Parts: sequence; C-alpha cells; structure tokens
Amino acid sequence: MSTIAKKPGQLLWFALLSLCLIAAAGAAGYSFMVGHEQAFNVNRGVPWGILIATYVFLAISCSGLCLISSLGHVFGFHEFTLISKRAILLAILCLMGAFGAIGLDLEHPFNMIYTLLSPNFSSGIWWMGTIYGIYLGILVVEFYALMTDNHKLSIVTGSLGFLFAIAAPSVLGSVFGLTLARPFWHGSFMPVYIIITALVSGTALIIMVMYFHHFVRNLEMDKQDRRLIRLLGRILALMIFVLIFSVFWNVIVGLYGKQPGHYEPVMALISGKLSLNFWMGEIIIGLVVPLLLLMRHDRTPFSTMMASLLALIGMFFMRYDMTIAGQLYPLRLQEYGLEDGLFSYSPSLSEVLIVIGCLAFSAFAYTLAEKLLKLDTDREQHS
Amino acid sequence: MKKDKRYAIVLDTRRCIDCKACTVACKTENNVPLPEDTCRNWVTEEPLRGSYPNLGQSFAPSQCNQCENPPCNSVCPTSATGITEGGIVTVNPDKCIGCKYCMLACPYDARYYNEETGAIDKCTFCIQRLAVGRIPACVETCPTKVRTFGDLNDPCSEVSILLAKNRHRVLKPELGTKPFLFYLI
Amino acid sequence: MSLINKKLSRRRFLGMSSCTLATAVVGSQVKVLHALAKNGDVTTPQRGKDDDVFTSCGMCVNKCGVIARVRNGVIEKLDPNPNFIKSRAMLCARGNAGVGVVYDPDRLKYPLIRTGKRGEGKFRRAGWKEALDLVAKKMNEVAEKYTRAGVMFASTEGTYQDHFFMQLAECFGSPNNVRHPTLCLSSNIQGFMATFGTNPTPDVLNADYIIMSGANRSEALITPDSIDMLKGDGGRRKLIYLDPRFTKTAAKADQWYPIKAGTDLAFVLAMINVIVNEGLYNRTFVKENCVGFDKLVPHVRSYTPEWAERECEIPAADIRRIAREFALAAPKAIYYHGRRSSFMANDTQLRRGIAILNAIIGNWDVKGGMVPNSRIKIGRHDYLAPWYDDVPDRLDAGSVAYLSENDGAWVPFRDRVLAGKPYPVKGMMVYKQNVLASVPDRARSLKMMDQMDFICTIDITMSDTAWYSDVVLPEATYLERQDPLESIGGILPVVVWRQPCIKAMFESKPNIWIMKEIAKRLGNEVAEQFQFTIEEVIQTQVKGQPQILKALQTQGVYYEKTDPTYGRTLGKRLRTKSGKVEIYSEKYAKKGLDPLPVYEAPKTTPAGKYRLLVGRHAFFTHGTTSNNPYLNAIMPENTLWLNTEEARRRGLQNGMRVTVRSEVGAQTLKLEVTDKIRPDCVYMAHGFGVLSKGLRTVYGKGGCDAALIGSSYDKISGNAALHETFVQIERA
Ligand SMILES: Nc1nc2c(c(=O)[nH]1)N[C@H]1C(S)=C(S)[C@@H](COP(=O)(O)OP(=O)(O)OC[C@H]3O[C@@H](n4cnc5c(=O)[nH]c(N)nc54)[C@H](O)[C@@H]3O)O[C@H]1N2
Ligand SMILES: Nc1nc2c(c(=O)[nH]1)N[C@H]1C(S)=C(S)[C@@H](COP(=O)(O)OP(=O)(O)OC[C@H]3O[C@@H](n4cnc5c(=O)[nH]c(N)nc54)[C@H](O)[C@@H]3O)O[C@H]1N2
Ligand code: SF4
Ligand code: SF4
Ligand code: SF4
Ligand code: SF4
Ligand code: SF4
Ligand SMILES: [Mo]
Repeated sequence: MSTIAKKPGQLLWFALLSLCLIAAAGAAGYSFMVGHEQAFNVNRGVPWGILIATYVFLAISCSGLCLISSLGHVFGFHEFTLISKRAILLAILCLMGAFGAIGLDLEHPFNMIYTLLSPNFSSGIWWMGTIYGIYLGILVVEFYALMTDNHKLSIVTGSLGFLFAIAAPSVLGSVFGLTLARPFWHGSFMPVYIIITALVSGTALIIMVMYFHHFVRNLEMDKQDRRLIRLLGRILALMIFVLIFSVFWNVIVGLYGKQPGHYEPVMALISGKLSLNFWMGEIIIGLVVPLLLLMRHDRTPFSTMMASLLALIGMFFMRYDMTIAGQLYPLRLQEYGLEDGLFSYSPSLSEVLIVIGCLAFSAFAYTLAEKLLKLDTDREQHS
Repeated sequence: MKKDKRYAIVLDTRRCIDCKACTVACKTENNVPLPEDTCRNWVTEEPLRGSYPNLGQSFAPSQCNQCENPPCNSVCPTSATGITEGGIVTVNPDKCIGCKYCMLACPYDARYYNEETGAIDKCTFCIQRLAVGRIPACVETCPTKVRTFGDLNDPCSEVSILLAKNRHRVLKPELGTKPFLFYLI
Repeated sequence: MSLINKKLSRRRFLGMSSCTLATAVVGSQVKVLHALAKNGDVTTPQRGKDDDVFTSCGMCVNKCGVIARVRNGVIEKLDPNPNFIKSRAMLCARGNAGVGVVYDPDRLKYPLIRTGKRGEGKFRRAGWKEALDLVAKKMNEVAEKYTRAGVMFASTEGTYQDHFFMQLAECFGSPNNVRHPTLCLSSNIQGFMATFGTNPTPDVLNADYIIMSGANRSEALITPDSIDMLKGDGGRRKLIYLDPRFTKTAAKADQWYPIKAGTDLAFVLAMINVIVNEGLYNRTFVKENCVGFDKLVPHVRSYTPEWAERECEIPAADIRRIAREFALAAPKAIYYHGRRSSFMANDTQLRRGIAILNAIIGNWDVKGGMVPNSRIKIGRHDYLAPWYDDVPDRLDAGSVAYLSENDGAWVPFRDRVLAGKPYPVKGMMVYKQNVLASVPDRARSLKMMDQMDFICTIDITMSDTAWYSDVVLPEATYLERQDPLESIGGILPVVVWRQPCIKAMFESKPNIWIMKEIAKRLGNEVAEQFQFTIEEVIQTQVKGQPQILKALQTQGVYYEKTDPTYGRTLGKRLRTKSGKVEIYSEKYAKKGLDPLPVYEAPKTTPAGKYRLLVGRHAFFTHGTTSNNPYLNAIMPENTLWLNTEEARRRGLQNGMRVTVRSEVGAQTLKLEVTDKIRPDCVYMAHGFGVLSKGLRTVYGKGGCDAALIGSSYDKISGNAALHETFVQIERA
C-alpha cells in the first residue's frame, strides 16, 4: 500500500486539482449551454483550437509512455520494469484526458455512435478514433495484467500495446498529413514527426514520474534508479536531438519551397504571430535548454527532471503551434479582409479552463492511484 | 438511355457586380445564420489591380464545388457527409459529430458550422428546390445572371453548351478534387 | 476585420433579439424572425397552406416582380418573378432581404404617442383610435391657428399608396406637399424636359457606346439598366465611366476617369465642341428636329478639349477620342443621364448639356439611343378636393425657377419654414420619407422639426424621423398589404401591383386605411372624398381592361409588348414650346437663365479640406435598410474613404476613427484608406450614424452624411446639391 503520509502539501495538491476540475466542468457546461461557437474562439477560419492541440498532446504522450515502457517488458530492458505499471497507468489516464479534450471539442459527441453504425473507412479520424479506442482497451487489460502479475497476459498485451503505440500516433499524424487542403500539414513528414515527439513526451513523462515518486515520498534514489534516470535522460537527449533536426528541416522545406499555405505558416512561426511560441516555447524551453541540461556531465536527477518538464512544456507549445499554424493561411485569400493575410486565434477562457481541466484530470487520477494502488514493482521478480 | 444527372454550375465572373444578392438569397432560402462568416456562398472582392488612377478589379462568387472526388467526404468519420443524386455532396445533420475535420479537408472553405442545426452545413445546390423543379436560389436571383445551373450529362443543357463553347477553368485542379463549379475565362 | 470581431457582433445581435422576444428561441436569428412572425397577432394564419403570391418589391424604386413563397402564414422566401421583364427576372440583395423587413424585431408594431421630450425616444403604446383622434385634432388646431397651409406633407413614392397621402393633403387643404424629387432627380427631369419636352430612357440594352457620369449602375441599381449595362451584344459595347470614385461600375467599365467633381459639364461641352468642329453631328436630325444649333456653334467655341482638361482633369486627347468614338457609334450611343442628379448647384445646366450632346448625334427615339417612355394607360382614381378660400400659395412658391407644384423644393422649403415666412408651418405629416436622413443638413431639419407644434410619421420602422415625431403610426409593410396598381413607364412599360402575402402583423395597417380614418376625423367634407375601398380603387384602374387584372393575378405583371417600338415621336411635335428639340432654350432665356449651358467651375477646395461625396451602396436603399438584419450583416457600418497617398501624407491609418467636420456638423467614423478615390474627395455610404435607438442593429455604427452636407441647391430645378460640401478630417 501507499506510504504517502497525509501532508498539507498533498491536500493542497488535491484541492488545487479539484478546483481546476470544477472550473473546467463549469466551462464545459457553459460551452454546451451557449454553444461552442459562442464559448470558444474557434471559427470558420480556425476550426481546430487549443482543445485539439491538447488532445494531440495527451494522446501522443500516451503512446510515448507505452513505447518507452514497453522497452522494458517487451524488449527485456529490465531497468524499465521498475516504472512499467506507472507508465501504463499514466498512459491510460493521459488517453482519457485526451478523449475528454476531444469529446468537449466535438459539437455532438453522442453522434459518435454513427462511427459504428455508418463507419467511413477512408476517414483518418475514424481510424484514429477506432485505434485509440481499442488501444485504451488494451492498455487497461495490460494494466490489469501487470497489477495481477499475469505475465503471459502482460506480454501479449504489451506487444499489442507496442504495435498500437506505433500505429496510433502515426494515424494521428496522418489525420493532419492527409489534409491536402493544408500544405503546412500535408505530407509524409507528419506521421514520422509525431512519433518522434511521442518518444520525447513519453520519456519526459517517465522521468518526471520517477523523480516525483521519490521526491514526494522523500526517498533517496538508489543506484538502480539513478542509472535508469541517466539512461532515460540519454534517450530524451537523443530524441530531442532528432526532433531538432526534423523541426529544422521542416522549417527549411517550408521556406525553400515558398509553397502558398506552407510558407506563410512557417513564417508565422519563425517571425510572425506564433514566433514567441515557437522560439520561446518550442525551441528554447522545449529543445535547447533541456538538451543543454541533459548534456551536462554533472547532471542530477533534479536537472534531468527539469529538462523533462521543460521538454513537456515545449511539446505542448509544439502541439499548439502545429495545430494552429496549419490553419492560419486562409483558403479563400481575399474573402476575410485580413490585415496580414492570416487568420488569428487565441483560446477563449472556456477553452483554457477545459484544457487545464483535462490536464488536471490526468494528474488527479494519477496521484489518486498512487495513493490507492500498489504501483511499486517487486524488483526481485524481474532481476 | 440517359445517364444519371451530374449537376454543375458555370460562372461567368466577368458579369459579377458584387451585389451579394446570391448570398442573401442563399441565406433566406437555406436558413443560413446571418453573420458574414456563416455562409454557403460568398463573393470575393479580388485585390485592386494597379494603383490610382489606373485601377482594375474583379469579383469572384463561389460556393461548394460539389467535387467528384470530395476530400470532405472521405474524411468524415460517421459518414454524415455523403454524395447524393446528381453528384451533390450533402451533410446529414443527425450524424454529424461536429469534429470539423471536413472544414479542414475542404480546400475551398465551402463548409461552416451552423449553430442553428448544430451541424456542419454547406451548399447543396438547393436540393430542395431541384426536387420541385426550381433552380438554385443564387442562380435564379442573380441580377446579371453570373451563374448557370444544369446537368452536365445532358449535352443539350445550357451548362454543357456553355462549357463546350467557352474556355473555362476550375479552382485548385492540382488537388485532384474534380470540381463541378466551372469558371469561364 | 477579424473573425473575432464578427463574432462579437453576432453575439450582440443574438442578445438583443432574445431580450426583446421572450418567445423567441435563443440562438437562432432565423428562428427569431419566424417566432416573431408566429407571435405577431397572426391568430390564424391567413394563408394556411403553402402559397405562392405574386407581388412587387418595395425595397426601392425599381419595383421588381416578386413571388413570395408562403408557408403556414410565414413568408419563407422571396423569389424573383421570371415574368417581370423590366428587371430581367432578378431580385437584388435588398429584394431578397425583404423578409427581414417583415420579421425585423425593430419594425413598428403599434401606434405610438410620444411621452418624453422630442428625440428622447419615450413613447407609449396607444390604440389606433386614440392616436388617430390626436392626429386629426392637432391638424385642425394648426389649421385654425395658422391656416391649412400650416400643415406640411412630406412623402416619397414607392408604396403605391402615396397617392392617398397626397389626396389627404389636398382634401385637407394644404398646398405644401414636399417630396423626394428635389433630393433626387428634379434637375435631370428639368434639363431633359427643357430640351426634349420629356425625360427619355436610355436604351442601354442596345447601345454600343455608353458614357456615364457618376451613374453608379452596379451599385445604384436601376432596372433594367444595371443588368443591360453588362449584357451588351457581342462585346461591341463600350462603357466609359466618369466618377471621382472607383465604384463597382468603374470596375465593369472599359475606361474609368476619376473626373474632378463638379466638372462634368466641361467634359460634355468639350465633347460638343469636338463633334461640332469636326462636323460629326447628325446634320439631318439637327436640321429637321432641333432648334438653336446655330447658337450652339459659337457657344462651344471656347470650350476646347484643352480647356476642359484643365477643368476636369481628363486628358484632352482622350476627350477628343471619346467624342469621335461616341459620334461614330451614333445613333447607338448614349450619354447616360443618370438618376440622382442632386450633385452640384448648377446641375440643371449639366443635364441640359448632356441632353444637347445626345441630341446632336441624333440618338433620339431610335434603337440604342434615348427613347421617350411609353406607359400603359390605366384608370385614375379621382376625387374632388373641397374648396377652401383662405389657403395661401405654396410656401416655397417662387423660390426656384421651375417649381413642381406636386413636389415642392425641399431645401428652400425648409429655409422658409425656419424663417416663418411668408407664413408659419407648424404641423408636419410624414409618410414614407425619412426627412432626417434624406434631406441635407440634419441639424437644420431638426431645427425645423423643433419649431413644429405637431409631427406625425407613418412608417414601418422607427426611422430617425419617426423617432422625433409626436405620433408614430405603423403601416403594414409592402408584403402585408394590397396596394393599387402602378403603371411603370419605360421602353418596355409594365403594370405591377402588390398583394398581401400574409395578414398584416401586430396592429399595422395599410396607408389607405390610415388616410380614411384620419379623413373621417377631419370632417364630412374631407371624409366624403375617402369613401372608397382598395378594391374599388383597383376596379377603377382596370376598368375596361380585365386582362390587366388577370395578368397580375396569374403572372404578377402586365405588359403589352416584349419588343420595343422606336420612333413613335419622330416627325411629331415634341412637348416643347417649339415642338422640336430645344438646343437653345427660349424659355430659359425669357426667365433670365442661360439658354445654353454655361460652364461654372466648382468652388475650389480649401486647403486641408476635401469634397464630401455621397452615393449608393448595392446593399442598402438610402438611409432606410441599414437596420435590416440580412443587409446589416453584409455591411455593419460605413467608413470614410480617403485616398491612400493622401492618408500617407496626413499620417492617417486604415481603420482608425476620424472625425469629419463640415460647416454644419461633425461625424465620427472609421477611416478606409483606399486607392479608389481622388485625393481631393472623401466619400461615405448613406444610411449610418442614425439618431434613432429604435434601429438597434445599426444604432451607434458609422457616421451620417446628411449631418455634414450643407444646404445648397440648384436655383433652376430646386434640386438639392449634395456634393457642394467641404470637410476636414482629424483623428477622433
Ligand atoms: N445624404 C444623402 N441624402 C440623400 C441621398 C443620398 O445619397 N445621400 N439620396 C437622395 C435620393 S436620390 C432620394 S430618392 C431620397 C430618398 O429618401 P426618402 O425620400 O427619405 O425615401 P426612402 O429613403 O426611400 O424612404 C424613407 C422612409 O420610408 C420608410 N418606408 C419604407 N417602406 C415603407 C412603407 O411601405 N410604408 C411606409 N409608411 N414607410 C415606408 C422607410 O422606413 C424610411 O423611413 O434621399 C435623398 N437624400
Ligand atoms: N442599391 C441601391 N440602388 C438604388 C438606390 C439605393 O438606395 N440603393 N436608390 C435608387 C435611387 S432613388 C436613385 S436616385 C438612384 C441613384 O443612382 P445614381 O444616380 O447612380 O446615384 P448615386 O449612387 O448617388 O451615385 C452617384 C455617384 O456619382 C459620383 N459623383 C459624385 N460627384 C460626382 C461628379 O461631380 N461627377 C461625376 N461624374 N460623378 C460624381 C459619386 O461618387 C457616386 O458614385 O439609385 C437607385 N437605385
Ligand atoms: S448575385 Fe450575381 S452579380 Fe451579384 S454578387 Fe452574386 S454572382 Fe455577383
Ligand atoms: S468543395 Fe469542399 S465541401 Fe464541396 S464537395 Fe468539394 S471538398 Fe466537399
Ligand atoms: S464535422 Fe460532421 S460532417 Fe464534418 S467530418 Fe465531422 S462528422 Fe463529418
Ligand atoms: S446553390 Fe443553393 S445552397 Fe448552394 S450557394 Fe446557391 S443558393 Fe446556396
Ligand atoms: S432593385 Fe432590388 S430593392 Fe429595388 S425593387 Fe428590385 S429587388 Fe427590390
Ligand atoms: Mo432617388
């Protein structure tokens, strides 16, 4: 059982998250009452806003968590089994948060029934929904297997989960990548890029979980833990490095081709209305600083955690920027009489509250589970 | 035997005076909400050519292209979007979840979210009018008769003749959507 | 404008309509309109089943044919009537937005009696009886105190029921009708009547060469010209367009010249100069059909293209070329004379010049030329006005050279009301005219209204004028009434009418009913003249021509021919004194007016100021429809156009708010920096900056042109001169 003592800090944490959840529930209720069109700042020009970005962020984090943790029991990196339960649990909760975000973004979530009654197999969203749906099921079974020490089942679900952890984000990437109408998204780059970012998110989250696991309980990290965190730190550094490359080339391709609809969003990122997000959020906070922190020889678990936290924040910016930038360039150029030729979007209060709520939900459920469930792995069994 | 119908609209934008009769007609015919950004059709003021005093300007009315190969249809997860008689692409509001993916997929910005029906809405070539033998509202009302509506599978229809006689183009042909809105040039 | 802003305006609209209509479903403008329809005292829908009703549009002067699609007592859609040959089977944006007039939450619903101060907007709902009693009592009081001429009657055509209003004026005994022509086209009519004895219609459809001076046909729609202008045949058509602004007509023209405002006559005279000098005029026509050509020749001698270039800033070479092309295309060439000619204070002479230029190329009454109107004769509803011997002459009598007894001359009329001379006018009846938006110098109109003992306005919406009235009476809208027949003259004349598509909502009543009720209360003598029903009026109109009624019922319009007849007047006497085309006007000479048009340069624009231009917008009718939900959504506010270069020089940016100041007023609105206007002019669309808070959608938006324009007018026709005003602009 959990050994966390009742501490004021913990109460505060739960109170804070509850507050977030209540605010989000209020915002969600309001948005259904007055209509999304009124409550949200999405519109004809930018139909997908911060909720979709959040969905992508959480869904991708889910896959990343699975990919990293499956390195443990699927490929037999035994160091990883330490965190496998936590990773799967967090993946489940992230995915639920993701579903929450998209569910609240949909105008009529209940019409989802028609994805079964009249499925459209050529729809990227159909595949994404279906795959993530099945995926959630697999993760739940896997978690059950892990909790009940059902090895066979956990190997099966783990392997399936691995497949889905690759398939799901790449289908998600294709949802963007297949939109011919949006040159900024269109192309084969998107699915690959999404998987790289999934690995970044997943690794960063696992590092965070490990760190706080010890921090909250005031535990010293033993040698094994330290080794694991170092290893994860190295993986994260590698992933960030790869990601920097792909971001760099994506920008270069956008600038070089000058293709209408690709060039303008890239310009918006590097010098336009999203440039603060891009340079501060994505590049400095999300990539450069974490990389620098991770490359230091004297890095500590704390600095590794900091690097992860920053990388996660950067990931969120990346999701947001990717979602929004792709829509900025109007399909009908002159019609909207836009000053700079691009649409603008900034989330409304309701949208922000719902986003906070979705993130808070995952955090709340996770910390609650930490309290209620036995998530520590009996090391002897594996080593 | 005559083949199925294939409806199309041919536009002669040289005649367009940007009077917006088509837009208002569509709004009243199809209960489209009033704000400017919720509309099934629109008229674009092209940028001024030249500078004072040597100026030129054109106006370009447009709407859904009723694509032969509509991306909006292939992306719709619930099959709320469908293709009906005459190649008209429609949305079934009861099935629409409002994911707005079709809005992102349509290269022509032909779709919008209709608050009143709670679903995505778009031009239907006024299918309800076709059913009773009337032509689309925007076609009928246009003062200068910019639009011509008809069946392209009928070689004697006005649209077929117009296309046979005049050079014409479609919007964004490179995307492979195969639009059925034709612009005379 | 960003989409976000648009969303705000949508929210405001929703908020407003839902507050006012407890019954309405929130979130649906269309539903709001329909909910209003259903709750508007339509106890049992008059037309239960689906129904198509033939009627005619009442949104502007053109009266296009309409088929109203009615379902369960609600007008669902207005469609164009394909039989209506005059408008070539179309409805413009405004025509389509007609449903918005009926179901506008801001429409007038009940008779209102003012309770607060004038203009404060405090009214109470009154019963018809009380309101009508009050109106009659006040009319009689004014009559007793100041003679019957002390009540003025202001109105405008278009409802087909304005005749009843004028009849009331006459039967009541007031000569003081003031109507729209002296804000609109009276100088045009004057100039052409003086020349041809009639005001012809340009055969736009068949002309090969058309020159338009500020007749903005792509936006100021006149059917069928707006349509025919574009159709042309076989691409031979050439359109030359002169306007200080690059309008949508300019966009359609072969050539656009940003002519210096007020100098069109220089251009016209130089064209005449070229045509006369180069012998390009139609010798036979001039010899056989005109008088005074010999005087024209020396008259235009000094008006060379080089001289004109300095005045109007159109290159002399172009003037020469256009003159030659024009003469070469004759007789299928027209110098289009436009409709609103309330431009400058010497406007009649400009229109005379245009008439003469047309005459000398011999385009009179031929295909593609200037064709005198045909009209289908219908019966007249007659009455015998009582005789009062104490009634003085019109208030504005003698104020201008040629005053129309029926229409008066608005600006001088108002001057005399304000002066109280020659006699006081203290009562004001208004029917279908928005004096405060349409007559220049709003502050002066307000002063005129201030000194009235009594003002009654009959309207369909809370116009600015209604807002300042003592009694406001709601007329049924054009889709809710049976109107008499209207015979519209033209190259292809038609007869139209209006049928009620739905029962009149709330307590609105057709004007005929209102007039009869007022007449009843004015005493037997007046009441006797109002003993008729609308059916009887129509019977009189179609007497002996049952086919007219049948055509109206089955196809919504009556006409006798679909092909024009040309040359009916050729070889016959024209209705001028000489019976010929009067190039030189003996009549003018006798009155001490210039018998041949003499060019007067417009006043030079003072440094740092701009000439204010006004003009139509395709989405609105005058100052009237900017509150219509459908139309307002297209253009929620007006802007002040300023030339790009000029804005740069002044350091003014697009979108900033500016205050525009003239000698008579100031208005604040958004600046629109554009290449579409001359650097020495600014322009704003009409219909904004309203005073009435009863026009909730448009209230608080944009600026009002009428508040800026000074009181200048043409001394021959009495037409207001709307472009004589200079303004300065500064950051607001
Ligand atoms: N500043 C400026 N002034 C102008 C002009 C301009 O461009 N700029 N244009 C001028 C010209 S050309 C003209 S013709 C005049 C026109 O101006 P007005 O003579 O004022 O005529 P409208 O604007 O057509 O109609 C005025 C009123 O009629 C009401 N109305 C509409 N339908 C009905 C109905 O069925 N029954 C009743 N009882 N009322 C109805 C409207 O609500 C409105 O208040 O304005 C002139 N004044
Ligand atoms: N949509 C719409 N159509 C209408 C109406 C409406 O309200 N709305 N009203 C109807 C009525 S009552 C009328 S009278 C007609 C009016 O129709 P028009 O006679 O076409 O009158 P305006 O639209 O007032 O256009 C006047 C134009 O003249 C230009 N102008 C100003 N000064 C000068 C000058 O000195 N020289 C030259 N060459 N041009 C100049 C202005 O920039 C403006 O574009 O429209 C009718 N049709
Ligand atoms: S109705 Fe016709 S002329 Fe008017 S804006 Fe539409 S397409 Fe152009
Ligand atoms: S234009 Fe857009 S909405 Fe219309 S069929 Fe094509 S893709 Fe679909
Ligand atoms: S918004 Fe509706 S119509 Fe569009 S893709 Fe989604 S479910 Fe289909
Ligand atoms: S065809 Fe009908 S639905 Fe389509 S734009 Fe025209 S009026 Fe609207
Ligand atoms: S031009 Fe437009 S507003 Fe005027 S009568 Fe015709 S449809 Fe009505
Ligand atoms: Mo007018």
